Amino acid sequence: MKKIKNRAYFAMLIALGLTFGIAIFTVRLFTDGKDWVMLRANQSVFNEGVMDTGTVTDRNGVVLASAGNGVYSYAEDETIRKSCFHAVGDYSGNIGSGAVNAYDYKLAGYDFFNGVASISGSGGKVKLSIDSELNAVAYKALNGRKGAVLVSNYKTGEILCMVSTPSFDPNNPPDLTNPAYEGVFINRALGATYTPGSIFKLVTLSAAIENIPDLYTRTFTCTGSVQVGGDTVHCTGVHGQQTIEQALANSCNSAFSEISQELGADKIYEYAEKFGFCKSLTISSIETAAGSIDKADAGTSNLSWMGIGQYNDLISPIAMLRFVSAIANDGTAKGPVLLKGAYAGSTRLLETETAQKIQEFMSYNVAYAYGQWQFPNLNICAKTGTAEVGDGTSHAWFVGFLKDEENPLAFTVIIENGGGGLANAGPVANAVLQAAVAK
Amino acid sequence: MDSFIQSLNSFFAQPDLGGAYSPFLSYLVFFTRYMLPIAALAILLRCAYSMLRERYEPEVWGYLDLPDGSRVPLRHLECTVGRAKSSDVTLDGSWVAATQLVLIRDESGNWTAYDIAMSGGAEINGVLIPQEGARLEDGDLITIGKSELRFFNLTEEERGIISKRRTSPGKQISPGTMFRFVSVFQFLVMYQLLYFGDEQYRAQIALSFVSLCVIMWLYYIIMRAIGRRGFEVEALAFFLSTIGLSVAASSTPENMLKQVLLLLAGIILFLILGWWLRDLKRVKAMRFPAASVAVGLLAVNLLFGSELFGAKNWLSVAGVTFQPSEFVKIVYIYAGAATLDRLYRGKNLLLYIVFSAVCVGALAIMGDFGSALVFFATFLVISFMRSGNIATVVLAVSGAGLAGFLALSIRPHIAERFATWGHVWQDVNGEGFQQTRALSAAASGGLFGLGAGNGWLHKIVAADTDLVFGMVTEELGFIIGVCAIAAIIILAAFVVHNASQGRSAFYVIAGTAAGSMMMVQLALNVFGSLDLLPFTGVTFPFVSIGGSSLISCWALLAFIKATDTRKSASFIMKDPSKMHDYNEFSERTYIDEANEDESQDNEDTEANGEEKGRNLFDRRSEKRGRAK
Repeated sequence: MKKIKNRAYFAMLIALGLTFGIAIFTVRLFTDGKDWVMLRANQSVFNEGVMDTGTVTDRNGVVLASAGNGVYSYAEDETIRKSCFHAVGDYSGNIGSGAVNAYDYKLAGYDFFNGVASISGSGGKVKLSIDSELNAVAYKALNGRKGAVLVSNYKTGEILCMVSTPSFDPNNPPDLTNPAYEGVFINRALGATYTPGSIFKLVTLSAAIENIPDLYTRTFTCTGSVQVGGDTVHCTGVHGQQTIEQALANSCNSAFSEISQELGADKIYEYAEKFGFCKSLTISSIETAAGSIDKADAGTSNLSWMGIGQYNDLISPIAMLRFVSAIANDGTAKGPVLLKGAYAGSTRLLETETAQKIQEFMSYNVAYAYGQWQFPNLNICAKTGTAEVGDGTSHAWFVGFLKDEENPLAFTVIIENGGGGLANAGPVANAVLQAAVAK
Repeated sequence: MDSFIQSLNSFFAQPDLGGAYSPFLSYLVFFTRYMLPIAALAILLRCAYSMLRERYEPEVWGYLDLPDGSRVPLRHLECTVGRAKSSDVTLDGSWVAATQLVLIRDESGNWTAYDIAMSGGAEINGVLIPQEGARLEDGDLITIGKSELRFFNLTEEERGIISKRRTSPGKQISPGTMFRFVSVFQFLVMYQLLYFGDEQYRAQIALSFVSLCVIMWLYYIIMRAIGRRGFEVEALAFFLSTIGLSVAASSTPENMLKQVLLLLAGIILFLILGWWLRDLKRVKAMRFPAASVAVGLLAVNLLFGSELFGAKNWLSVAGVTFQPSEFVKIVYIYAGAATLDRLYRGKNLLLYIVFSAVCVGALAIMGDFGSALVFFATFLVISFMRSGNIATVVLAVSGAGLAGFLALSIRPHIAERFATWGHVWQDVNGEGFQQTRALSAAASGGLFGLGAGNGWLHKIVAADTDLVFGMVTEELGFIIGVCAIAAIIILAAFVVHNASQGRSAFYVIAGTAAGSMMMVQLALNVFGSLDLLPFTGVTFPFVSIGGSSLISCWALLAFIKATDTRKSASFIMKDPSKMHDYNEFSERTYIDEANEDESQDNEDTEANGEEKGRNLFDRRSEKRGRAK
């Protein structure tokens, strides 16, 4: 019997195998459970493949979208529905970067302990960092033009306003074959790239400050155009003798052509790459469109245009927002993030001294060139851009920040084919910033 | 009956009773999710503690006086004597074979000695032990070469006293409390089902759970009435059956009452088989006929079976559909286990191998590869238990591996399952359809579940059988799922724990085989649905829906119950003091005393017993001294 007893112990090997298997499964459940619940066939989360649980709100708790028991709904106010359309996304899944799709795993309300069970039965909550009222102001200010508006707090990295147009009311979808709705499902703030035009001079300037020792003592002469490699680089005016400060305020192509030729394509590219203009960024786990900068050959007019923000330069509005945020924040970019209270990582893009110098220059831009009267009561630092797109029209850019401890706001406005940057994008930025400061 | 159920249903259908209207009720039901694991863990821990921690006094059935003058008690109904360290009685001397003798005590208290050594040469009172064994009488002299042993049988008086010293299972943990915890568990599950489940079937749900509870307590009362106090094995089975009933309530609420009736049938078969196992003589006599019936059943299945879910393992008789392979499992273990004398002879193993090949082959032809695998694993356990030969096991495994490859090449759908294994997420709507849904549902349930009746996996094909672990985890939570697995492991561990106290090799082998069979089936079911093993489609013991499987699980439980030799624990084990030969003994005092201490959960009898025991041994040695 002793023998039989000893042999019986071998049966416990099976028990050991069972325990081992369960241990493996527990580990997998812990690491992969959040992906498993997102199976479209999971009827606790989806209803026929459509998100069926969870609520998206703005930073103040205003409900922007909610779903449950086979029914979903968007914000109550129509302008908020339109202005937050791209940030919130749609239940049909047309906008991949919208919260409903990008944060579906949060809306499922999954955690290892409770699975997708919640005491209210309404799933998880996603609190966006955007303020739906600011979005509504920006949407109205864009006034039917195509474009994007971004405003963030450069100290916390939270994006407070993110609007992309064209947009529509998800409760009353229009006829989307109308050309006015072309690309309506693209969030232009995150998912599009544009020719930057003169706002790119901030990048070239950063490189110049750190690489041209006598930059501040130099004089830049503008005769309305400059000959480079047999081509003519035209300027918007005849600016005469200028300091670097004045050249930026005049957005003088002649001056920046000279600087670009001196820096060379590699140096400009190096800075653009460091500032995140050549790659895709990850904003609260959303992948943005990747910008691209092509290096032009030395001694050609292309190199001049590369440093001026034309040539083959393409950047995304969100990358520009991050860059001006870094300038405003003495060289360190926070985030940006789209979720309220989310941890925003810090990245140093510029030396503190460089950043502070550019701050002065951008403040001078407003005082010397743009007109403080256009931005009442705002201590604003900015740069305009009027990017030629080749068909005779140009994108209107207006980027910058408020030098204001109470309202540390950075902004980027772009209007597609909107004409002059200051005249068209400037008022949109002013409207949103006035509303944000008034809060 | 139907109108009664309907009136009950209309009562339960009142919205206030369970609708999602009252926030208080929804909070309450949310809270019960956390209470379920507490109840389940209480059941498991109490059972495991009482089953595995208990050290009980070994039984003594006789004595051998060794050449060195020491006295060795014979602690089992079957004992080996030899030079090997693993022998029950170890002898020194090159003239002794590794395993020389097998001593077996039969029902009527008579001992028989078998000389199983190749060389033979053992004598009783100077007479060579013949091939068919020789009767051993009290005081007989056994001679093996130069060694002389003297055998002493137990007197009836001693047996009564030794029996009293045995530890009773009720001593450490009240057996009723275990069932009370199971009842709490049942109530909580029923409450969740009434809240979340289909409103149309509230009456069926309530009736089924109340019936299950009543059946359980009736069993308890009857067993207590005949003086039994060990219920852990049944408590675990009732715990698992409750989970099974919850699965039924979600997937097929209209058939719940049928499920309860099948459960009752299972319990009755458990009792009948248990009663049958009490007498080893008749058990041994029926092994061959039982195996023949099993082969016949499989043959009928092969000829007249119908195909369901891809395997032709169903038989329909008079409108009742069942799976013969489930019942063959019982016979397979019954016929596979053997007593110690046969074990060492080895010649019976060949017959068993043939029987196994027939069973596994028949199942493979039917296309039921899952069951074939379960049978094969059980075959390995039994043949290892019988032969102790790892080489045989390795040989069998490699042989089966070859056969497996052959099967894979003939049956493309099995090969596909192997190909899908580990890649289910690459084909969520094709080959990985069932597994990905099981995983998704399981993750959705978290540790505490969404609530019984609140899942969706039951809408998927075979959710309540092959994917049942996913369903349990979704609705009752991962903790309950793991508890269900742990319950089966505890049953198997209990058998192994009991092996050292086993009376006969038959019980130990059968119990170990039953426990192993359940564990293998469990592993294939659970890990198949979770993509840790290829999907084979076998049932989760007690939990998966299906009458044949449920009944056969309860029957297999009888083999596990039969290994429990604690005092007054198992109805299958006879009390040594009440065994056939003892009843003929006229002195009633010991029986009365034994009954007395059963009725009071006392601790002092053990102390008394020990004292008496010591007196007894003293007396014995005195007597022996005089005899010399």
